[in-house]
Amino acid sequence: MVYTQNNPALFIIGLSMLAIGYGADTGLINPVLEHLASGKSYKYRDELTTLPLYFGLFAAVTGLWHWLGKHREGHLDYYSSTIAGGMLILFITMLVRWFIAPEIEVISIGLGEVGNTGKYAHDLFGLNYVVLGIVAGLLIVNVFRIPSWAENGVRLSRLGLKTGVILLGALYSAAELRNLGGLSILMIGFFVLGSVGIVLWIGSRRHISNSMGGVLSAGMGVCGVSATVAVAPVVQAKPVEIAYTIGTILLWGVGCMFLFPIVGHLLDMSYVQFGAWAGTGILNSAQVAGAALAFQPDGIETLMVAEIFNITRVLILPVVVLWLAVWYVRKEGANAAQVDVGRVVITKFPVFVIGFILMFALSTTGIFAPANHYQGKYFGNTADLGFKEENLLNAGQIQLLRSELHNIEHTGHSAALKRLIKHGKIMSVDDDNAIRSIVSGESLSDNANAILNAAHKAVHHTAKKIEAFREWITWLFAFGLVGLGMQITVGAMKQAGGEPAIIGGIVGFIKAALSLVVVILFISETV
Amino acid sequence: MTAEAHRKATRPVQPGMFQYILLASHGTEGAISAENMALRICSPAGRIDHLVVVPEFWRNMTGDDWLNNGATRDRFRDYLDDALRQDIDQQRQRVSQKAFDRGLTCQHIVLLGEPEEALLRQTRTHAYDLVVMGSPRPGGKSGLRSTMLTKKLTHVLETALLIVPHPEQGTLK
Repeated sequence: MVYTQNNPALFIIGLSMLAIGYGADTGLINPVLEHLASGKSYKYRDELTTLPLYFGLFAAVTGLWHWLGKHREGHLDYYSSTIAGGMLILFITMLVRWFIAPEIEVISIGLGEVGNTGKYAHDLFGLNYVVLGIVAGLLIVNVFRIPSWAENGVRLSRLGLKTGVILLGALYSAAELRNLGGLSILMIGFFVLGSVGIVLWIGSRRHISNSMGGVLSAGMGVCGVSATVAVAPVVQAKPVEIAYTIGTILLWGVGCMFLFPIVGHLLDMSYVQFGAWAGTGILNSAQVAGAALAFQPDGIETLMVAEIFNITRVLILPVVVLWLAVWYVRKEGANAAQVDVGRVVITKFPVFVIGFILMFALSTTGIFAPANHYQGKYFGNTADLGFKEENLLNAGQIQLLRSELHNIEHTGHSAALKRLIKHGKIMSVDDDNAIRSIVSGESLSDNANAILNAAHKAVHHTAKKIEAFREWITWLFAFGLVGLGMQITVGAMKQAGGEPAIIGGIVGFIKAALSLVVVILFISETV
Repeated sequence: MTAEAHRKATRPVQPGMFQYILLASHGTEGAISAENMALRICSPAGRIDHLVVVPEFWRNMTGDDWLNNGATRDRFRDYLDDALRQDIDQQRQRVSQKAFDRGLTCQHIVLLGEPEEALLRQTRTHAYDLVVMGSPRPGGKSGLRSTMLTKKLTHVLETALLIVPHPEQGTLK
């Protein structure tokens, strides 16, 4: 079978990208960008003048070949057939990030703050490019359907997400990885194993079949659809049971992805708290990443925390598969296939986690940033450590911050802000984290937040390679999530129902609520 | 099944009215009622085309899974394919046996897609006398959410349509 289609779509996508790049480069679309920036400077201008030109050229040339070339069956044909779908996802991601999300922000600001929350609708509901990108993907697959020329390429979204996780490995310090790893093992261990056990227990009380109980417990407990896919053949789940479970998980996952960031902002959660909560409470691993980026669209600190939780989940998956396989064999006896422990561990082991560990190991050698740096990003508030005297706060900035100090209720944050006011610069790593949390909480005016952001940047130095990694990671996750949105159909979600919907609803709610309580009570704002 | 429902389901019907029937059935209780009705009203020398549609949503049943490796996803797909195939085989054997017992010719057609569209496609290419299908599942009964009997179908279908009541029609809330 020949997969590459003689279709002009990829060529048209390439030309569209080039047109955007040309418009940005020559200033043709400046009025649009000025409108989207609402009086500030348009923050994606650098991206607009580079990315569409590189990718547009690639897509246009490849698109011409797809359209007019002769394609023959083989590996080259199969791999080249993925380019069109991949470029479609990238183009949608570009449009959403550069134009649609900023336009939504303009409209949201124009509508004014929501009630007495002190926040605009786009902030409160997390209507940023990540969430809107996933929504765009959902709309495309459910309203228009994925065109046949793009079907193969849409699967590239998984590669994007896995590559993003691997690159993330370069951004953690050993201390961060140790602390986050320990925390995630505790949280995931308790909540995942607890959820699996509770579903099995409720299932036996409600007399659902063992195969239904097995597949549902994995989906509700570990990592949603991924766990269901891994466990279904092991517990010999029937098609209707699989459909019920996946439908329930997708419905919950999509709901949580929109709801969690709103709750997180309302409770002024820190990046660590939100990352830990999303990583534990959201059933589906894809939506964990989505919620983390929705909570903090212009940074990846929350994503870094959430992904450690995701990795812990996926590492625990082979254990849960084995547990359920043994449990199922015991329950069903002769009707069940015997468990091959070695095969389960090997086939279910997430290979991309090895890439993550390798990147972390490489980064400790100083290959990406000087070895004495804090994994490529380091705190420095002296001239020796890169602090420039012109970045000290001026009298006007200090006066503005002092006038808004009363808006900070958190004593730790308030103390950090007072030290910043006193010294004109951030004095410690802890203070820097507190200042970031104040900005994230949006309890100060835009001007005050801008001053705090500048103060943070003045002491927070990032190695160039690490900076580039952060950019790539943001794009890879955005790309992956838009593509995953294109794989969530209403038809699949509509299958939510029956006992799984009841049991899943109960367990999903308990897990989300209990993990929120644990995070608020026991997790500090930094690691 | 209540006594009244049983009486209705087994009351005599004049056979031989229809020569060529399209039976849309997918193994549920309602569909089995439709099968029985189609077999009863088909002319002795008639023919039944048994249509089974594998709904489109199965294509996307791996949803947004991204953590698994290719081997795990392939195993899931193969497993799901096998399970669906076994379901369809059971339905085919059941309908074939019933048709054979009555001396009817029966052909099985398996299509992938939206159920309503698949049925319309099939009726456009064959000159059926009648389409037979079960009524939608009564409230309270569990099952997949994928119905063939849509408003569009009733508006567009150019063949006579017989909707056979569910055996528990009126007994469930």
